[in-house]
Amino acid sequence: MERHAAERHAPVSRWGCTNVIDNGLLVQMLIGALLGVSVYLPLAAGQLSLATPAFYAVGGTLAALLSTRWAALGAGADGSFPLPSFLLELLLAGALAGLLALLVGRLVLRLQGIYLAIATIALVEIVRVAILNLPFTGGAIGIFAIPQPFATASGYLVPALALLALAGWGCQRLEGMPLGRAMAAIRDDELAARCMGIDTTATRLSAFVLSAVLAGSTGALAAHFLNTWNARQGSFDASITTLAFVILGGSRSWLGPVVGGLLLTALPELLRPVGDVRLVLFGLVILLGPVFFPRGLITPGLLERIGGRRQEAPR
Amino acid sequence: MLKLGAVIALTGNANLYGQDQRLGIALAQQWFNGRSRPKTPDSASPLTLELEDGGSDEATAIAAFNLLINAGALALIGPTLSQQAFAADPIAQRLGVPVVAPSNTAQGIPQIGRYISRVSAQSSVIAPLSLGEALRRDPSIRRVAVFYAQDDAYSAAETVIFQKALAARNLTPVTVQRTQLADNDFQNPITAALQLNPQLVVISVQAVAGGNLIRQLRELGYRGQIVVGNGLNTPNIYPICQRWCDGILIAQAYSPELDTPINRAFLRLHQRANPEQPPSQITAQAFTAYQVLAEAITRLEQQGGLRGQTLGQARSRLMQELLGGSYDTPLGPIRFRPDGEVVQGRFYVAEVRMQPDGRRGRFTLVRDLSLESDPQDPAPRPATKPSARGERP
Repeated sequence: MERHAAERHAPVSRWGCTNVIDNGLLVQMLIGALLGVSVYLPLAAGQLSLATPAFYAVGGTLAALLSTRWAALGAGADGSFPLPSFLLELLLAGALAGLLALLVGRLVLRLQGIYLAIATIALVEIVRVAILNLPFTGGAIGIFAIPQPFATASGYLVPALALLALAGWGCQRLEGMPLGRAMAAIRDDELAARCMGIDTTATRLSAFVLSAVLAGSTGALAAHFLNTWNARQGSFDASITTLAFVILGGSRSWLGPVVGGLLLTALPELLRPVGDVRLVLFGLVILLGPVFFPRGLITPGLLERIGGRRQEAPR
Repeated sequence: MLKLGAVIALTGNANLYGQDQRLGIALAQQWFNGRSRPKTPDSASPLTLELEDGGSDEATAIAAFNLLINAGALALIGPTLSQQAFAADPIAQRLGVPVVAPSNTAQGIPQIGRYISRVSAQSSVIAPLSLGEALRRDPSIRRVAVFYAQDDAYSAAETVIFQKALAARNLTPVTVQRTQLADNDFQNPITAALQLNPQLVVISVQAVAGGNLIRQLRELGYRGQIVVGNGLNTPNIYPICQRWCDGILIAQAYSPELDTPINRAFLRLHQRANPEQPPSQITAQAFTAYQVLAEAITRLEQQGGLRGQTLGQARSRLMQELLGGSYDTPLGPIRFRPDGEVVQGRFYVAEVRMQPDGRRGRFTLVRDLSLESDPQDPAPRPATKPSARGERP
């Protein structure tokens, strides 16, 4: 058909003449990596929580509301937005998501394993339906014309990278801190950890709250980046996608979900030249990834080999 | 070489619309390349199109917009969903790239900026027309039941329009039933509604759900009139509700029965590509989106061309030329308001007529309305003209 001819009329080589990964995609990849780390944190304490999209949605909705409704933040008539207000939003969104996690976590974290996963899926659904029905969140269309702190997508690279660096630094520090060691102990054997005198409830709750803070701040960043925000951003689909980041990347080190998030966000875009079957290939990668890398792409053994850095054996 | 870009939902839950749009754009290319173009210094420069999948989510649409803008597209057609437009259009606006939306009907799309325009009339203009037809047929209607998919942006916006139009006629719905986008079983909301003995049912949901809803309404014993919104504006519903589709009323921005040269050409091309079905509104609107851009570019070429200009200048001149023109399209004559909103002169009310076997059917034109779709004017006065073949037997 004609359209095939039209599609083939693309410039000499799409790989050659334009950047395959432009800055906009790079920001999306960083957002993916941040969400991956957010799923990783409870998992590092042995908790399979799929609640990340709920906190992401809460953060994004807060940022969208504040920047479009609260004039004191200084949104300009030309769609501009002051940088300090943007940073304040990141903080507030993280704080609100963290607070929500603290309240919900006390109830939800009594559950374990698959029951916890189901309860967190329910949380995602509750938040989605709430955002859909609240009188001030724009219903199904959502909130649009969100003002921009940066003139181009490249501007978002700096805060996204900074947030990821902060998260990575935090996770790295955590490995040497009592909280991180307690999390690792619970992941390996919760009963044994409790016998050793570790306050497992507080440790699990801390990991849950840290995860929520990160997801909330990421949501605030994403709301500005996407220009619009609606209930579809935090859905069950997003739970599964973010979980895939961790499974493909590896759940034994924070670098795993970062690599998984970057890769899986970029892949559908990088596969564009193959045309209509790109999502089939993407699905194959998700399917075959765990077959060939059952512990994820980034394993402690790999890190030891490439970095020569000392990694304590998990057990 | 001049390049246009199209960002269409070929994957995700909007892909049914995307397939129709892809066809519409491909037909417009055939039509444009096939017609005799006036000799101009630039007429040697061919117009090409690069089509990218915009998915059904915001992030994919943004990525596709960035990709095509970086690849040097002169203007873009898309994206499929209004929610995607609110995410991706601001990017094109900031970079000064003209966008023609083929199917965004939400309020506020052209207001994103001066580079954003659309050929799809707002639902506020179209939706109430079918309601008018139902009340014309039965002026005694007092009890109206409303159904809508509350998690679907389009349906939620459209039901507000329907309910406003009902209020303007002093009709308060006896019940408003909310459904979900993915629902296929409507026994509960239908039972609740039928207990209130509605004389008219007004539905704003998407195609597959709508087909099931209509079928179940009839199966559960509802015999009154049914008015449906734009989500059901596709022949794809026939296989779902089959003979139960018969008689539903819908307002449309396109009618295959419009007898103009451009629509005949469009129908001919469509017949060749898809002999099974007449074209849907969304195919015609995608055709129109390509057509208005191609015609604006042709006019620019006649005025001396875009040669020697930077891409930025060319994009800016194209936008100016696009908004300044008037176009004879399969939708009828259209032009643009200065802010990019489409001004369409003709709308249609159609009734679904199914064949006795219940497998095939068609939208039969019952009324041809000419009004200027100017949303600034709150109550456009339609000059209605019943179509000859549409009169009730």
